[in-house]
Amino acid sequence: MVKKAHLITGKGGVGKSLFSTVLAHNISTQNQQVLLSELAEYSFFRDYLNLPDISYKPIPWKLNLEVSQWRPEDCLKEYCLHLLKIESLYKLFFENPVSKSLIQIAPGLHELALLGKMTSSPRQHGPAMKYDQIVIDSFSTGHFLSLLRAPAALNEAVPFGPMGEQSKSIDSWIRNPDFTEVHIVTLAEELPITESIELFLQLKKEFNIEAKMYLNKISGLNESDLLDLSDEAKSSLDNILKSEVEARIKLKSANINFVELPLVTSLEVSVLIETLAKNLKASK
Amino acid sequence: MINLLPTTKTLICIGSGGVGKTTMAASLGVGFANSGKKVLVLTIDPSLRLAQALGIKTDGEIHRVELSQGSKGELWSCIIDHKKTFEWFVRSASGNADVEGLLKNRLYQQLSGRLSGSQEFTSLISLFRFVSSKEYDLVILDTPPSQHTWNFLQAPEKIAALFNEGVASWFRQPDADKKGLFKKMLGLGTAQVLKALENLTGSFFMKELSAFFEAIQKWQRPLENYVMNCHRLLISAETEFILVTSLDSSRITEAQKLSREIQKQGYRLTSVIINRIPEWTQHQKNIKSHRVTELIKYYESLENDLQSRLNQFKNSLEVYKCFELRQNSEDVNGLQKNFDHIRSFN
Repeated sequence: MVKKAHLITGKGGVGKSLFSTVLAHNISTQNQQVLLSELAEYSFFRDYLNLPDISYKPIPWKLNLEVSQWRPEDCLKEYCLHLLKIESLYKLFFENPVSKSLIQIAPGLHELALLGKMTSSPRQHGPAMKYDQIVIDSFSTGHFLSLLRAPAALNEAVPFGPMGEQSKSIDSWIRNPDFTEVHIVTLAEELPITESIELFLQLKKEFNIEAKMYLNKISGLNESDLLDLSDEAKSSLDNILKSEVEARIKLKSANINFVELPLVTSLEVSVLIETLAKNLKASK
Repeated sequence: MINLLPTTKTLICIGSGGVGKTTMAASLGVGFANSGKKVLVLTIDPSLRLAQALGIKTDGEIHRVELSQGSKGELWSCIIDHKKTFEWFVRSASGNADVEGLLKNRLYQQLSGRLSGSQEFTSLISLFRFVSSKEYDLVILDTPPSQHTWNFLQAPEKIAALFNEGVASWFRQPDADKKGLFKKMLGLGTAQVLKALENLTGSFFMKELSAFFEAIQKWQRPLENYVMNCHRLLISAETEFILVTSLDSSRITEAQKLSREIQKQGYRLTSVIINRIPEWTQHQKNIKSHRVTELIKYYESLENDLQSRLNQFKNSLEVYKCFELRQNSEDVNGLQKNFDHIRSFN
């Protein structure tokens, strides 16, 4: 049974997907069965991790670690099949232009389906999952709140009936700190830092979620490294150092604890993962 | 120097988040305005620094940007206000007909929240609005950050699906037109579908659903036209797409895939800009710092990796590179410099 779900978010380009693989990797080495899942329409992990076709059905990647892609349609399909039980009825339902369009546009339904899948194990709703923990490479900061808000919003719009009850129970599992953990990945740059702090505070206010923050791609430079460089290089690197200092100050003054992760200077994905995994472990 | 086709009136900057798309869109705006065009840049979420440098406000209105003396053109800028834009859309698409019934429907409220929250849709509406005003020689759109540009390109289709005649007629006026609906149900097996849907969602939801479709019936046709026009604009011969990406192997792989797909679908992707290439790594000698040496090697290997993959971009595409803009130079002069820095890759 799934005991914990990790949701990873961050502004685009901060290294959210790589962090998800690192976190999943680390948990899997603690003798836990882990599912790493991406909420993307087009799989990123397939090319990045050089895996064969990634789909809804998990495929093994490492020991104790499997990878899959959750598209809302698939989550909904699985759920409906579980509920309707009758294959032919389900086919009629899904291979129908009306329901197809409805599912496309129905507000919040996609989000509800994804979170429904995420919480299906503790809610004992849907097929059993053999994993101890799931790590979800989730939406970027801009869309993350609307993902978490969907169950409560739907419950408000449709308070009665099966859907109302489902969304209510999904909502309560999102707010359960023993089950749902949110990880925000950010860079030491103005926009990512501002967005990440805003999201952190909002998550706390609205869901009472204490997210974990990671300051990624830290240059590892000191003032002394710049001494013998050209003026051009000095000023560029000095800018980087300054924005790193500024980022730390902003996070601290918002009372946010954070973990720093280095910019790993390798093109090899396996080296990136190993190095960051070590750093992440050491930070705990 | 980057060139547009002389007929181009709309320029759409696409690419994944964090590659400097917004600054690039602003640079292109400054560059083309200084060369004599009347340009409007539509942007989503500029950094505070960029907004201040250009003197633009987040009020959703169009503001003129002060260019340096002697500039031949005009630069205008607007930060898209999604809520305002959606309202404008509903009113203009419905021909200001009575929309009260619709506005009260809970599903509509949810849906409009979703659509106005969906920046893809409101960006597209803004673009269409300003291009069709014909007040500018060139309108540049900075597309919203999203994992894939598909969300943006599919926005017209998604909204069209909602107003699809077939779908709407199934739910419309279940009481007033029982016979018609009943016939359709028998013909198409709808009864089971609706029953299944009701089992899943509850009767309350179904009631809201049919009320919703009843309400949108009136302005279905104008909306369909509207959506069609948006789509036409995207595939128009006067529209060019520019893909912005950064010096990062996984992003380049994404960009290559995207450029192939987008061209296959008939959008006119003409150029790719590899952005934020660090310039400081060049001509450094006798470096003592181990970390600096490591970083220089890293950026060199990234560039070599890119070079080896350049031919995988389609031949019809122009590939440019642009050096990283220094953080303190995001004013019109800095942006002009950035524009001048755009070089063909070879």
